Amino acid sequence: MAVEGEAGVPAVSASGRRRTRLDLTAPALLGFPVVWLVAFFLVPIAIVAAYSFDIYSLFPGKHGFTLAAWRAFLHSSVYLGLFWKSVKMSLIVSAVVVALAYPVAYYLALSGTKRKYVLLLVLIAPFLTSYLLRVLAWKVILGNEGVLNSFLVWVGVRSRDHPISQLLYSRFAVMLVLTYVWVPFVALPIFVSLESLDRRLLEAACDLGASRWQAFRRVTLPLSLPGVMAGFLFVFIPTVGEFVTPSLVGGTSGYMYGNQISDLFSTGFPDWETGSVLALFLLAVVAVLTAAFARFLQVRQVTAH
Amino acid sequence: MEEGRDLLERRISREDLLKLAAATGAAGLVAGRTGLAGAARAELAKESGRLQVLDWAGYGNDGGQTMFAAYVKKYPKNKPQFTYMTNEADALAKLHAGLKPDLFRPYVGWTKYFATSGLVQPWDPKLISNFKHLNPFMVKAGQLNGKQYGIPEDWGFDQILYRSDKVKPKAKSWGLLFDERYKGKIAWFDDLEMLTIAGLYLGFKNPWNQSDAELKKSQNLLKSKKHLVRLIWSSETNLWEAFGSGELWIAYAWPNDWVQMKKKKLKVVYMHPKEKPIAWVGMLMLLKGTQRYHLAHAYADAWSSAKSAKWLEDNYGYGHANTLARPSSSDLMRVLQITNPRAVTLPNAYFDRDIPRRSLYAKMWEEVKAA
Repeated sequence: MAVEGEAGVPAVSASGRRRTRLDLTAPALLGFPVVWLVAFFLVPIAIVAAYSFDIYSLFPGKHGFTLAAWRAFLHSSVYLGLFWKSVKMSLIVSAVVVALAYPVAYYLALSGTKRKYVLLLVLIAPFLTSYLLRVLAWKVILGNEGVLNSFLVWVGVRSRDHPISQLLYSRFAVMLVLTYVWVPFVALPIFVSLESLDRRLLEAACDLGASRWQAFRRVTLPLSLPGVMAGFLFVFIPTVGEFVTPSLVGGTSGYMYGNQISDLFSTGFPDWETGSVLALFLLAVVAVLTAAFARFLQVRQVTAH
Repeated sequence: MEEGRDLLERRISREDLLKLAAATGAAGLVAGRTGLAGAARAELAKESGRLQVLDWAGYGNDGGQTMFAAYVKKYPKNKPQFTYMTNEADALAKLHAGLKPDLFRPYVGWTKYFATSGLVQPWDPKLISNFKHLNPFMVKAGQLNGKQYGIPEDWGFDQILYRSDKVKPKAKSWGLLFDERYKGKIAWFDDLEMLTIAGLYLGFKNPWNQSDAELKKSQNLLKSKKHLVRLIWSSETNLWEAFGSGELWIAYAWPNDWVQMKKKKLKVVYMHPKEKPIAWVGMLMLLKGTQRYHLAHAYADAWSSAKSAKWLEDNYGYGHANTLARPSSSDLMRVLQITNPRAVTLPNAYFDRDIPRRSLYAKMWEEVKAA
């Protein structure tokens, strides 16, 4: 005897229809993104790979499969050195951004303020202006005749002839600007993970005699780690290949791996082969790191649950 | 249809007739005016649409309109449409990627490369009325195998700009770009030409074609001195901003940069190094297979006029190949040595030239930046 549903239709056949609908909906929904991904992500990567092996080139001349550019890159202390410099800068920026964003997200999520969404909006308000403008604004702040140096002269800490000149066009300037740009981005995932925290766990911790610090360290922090890690990756992945900010405020010492890729493609004499090698290497390292972080995240989530 | 009627009804000026007559050769001249007008109309009818120009920022509809105002007045239906190039390598990549401009403007160091690349075709100087006023030395630099591949236009020098109230050079030398006393106050230019400058400073016989050992020495010099450099500039506005605000005291610079810093009332000297400056000239080049051959010539003619030349000198601070033009500024007259028709060559300066191993130079310069 078939079990009847509310409308008198046998439940089995209804669920069967639902299954059929789902089966058709999923490909329909995923189809376009998959085609998009293949056409504008995988195919371009394949083309870049073809450039790196000199299988394909825009420029005339003899071309054929070769590992020469890869070999040169892997034996080049210059390019690898620049890569590690960029990784170090990016790691520092990511860590500082997370450290700055966490208290903000914590306050918004757990302070119980009624205006938390208004404050969140204020936090992301800089995104309403152009990225370029936000970066250029730092030139006005950090320059020799900028806001900061003018203030120091005004309070008598520095003389007009001896401003702090290493604020702009330096590695410090790049890291400072990147930190400023990425803090709101990181605050968001941390805010989401903290807001979804089950408050009863904190109450239970307090009931069991934990201090506020202990409750934070042993309950809140571990449970918000997925958000922290996601935020960390949000910063690390784009900044390690960053080239706009360094080209605007970095000067010689703030030159990063992303600038080198850009320059190999567009200045001097086009060297798309080496540029492609550098780009693919960056992609591979970021992919590996992302996979590692994703695995770590899953482990933490399982542990937390 | 409408466009076709417009073309047929377009009035042909006497100047156009003469140019087209020259283009169609002796047969056209003998054919008489009526026949010529028909031939001219046919030629112009073929050349429809907007003229496609690949040029540097600042030379299109973003401020450089005066340079081609005469062309626009004469051919309002074929106004130029611009694509911008950031450097010759960028232009090369764009051309190979399928961009089809009618003309573009690389600098003299690339003339030979492009002329032998199969991408360009020679001009017909007879179609450019102002051609006879152009500096003969620069005109010759635009030739290869007797054919005129480049029409010389803007020119200037690569020299050293420094703040005379802050910097006391030990000598008039490119060495000022490598002076340890001014660490953090020096700017280089983002181009493989820095290797040529290093070669000049080190006294190599031919800095444009250095041997492997010489090139290594030049590269090592640049690597060892890079810590002194605050900025490797690629855009003049970037340089002006940093130099003007006192971040920089010494820079590789062009005449216009000196003009701009003088305007800011800075005490600046545009130093002529004892190893000699490098001189350059922009060359209009005509793309092979252009569908607007005569229009491109008319555009080059407008660029080559004395009126455009003077405007360029007064507003951009560069020299112009038109020998009739004189800038209003006596300072600029002096620094460019406008009255010396051979200012761009020895004994005054080294005229920039082809770098046979350009890709190697480029690779080594990239390594300097990455080091």
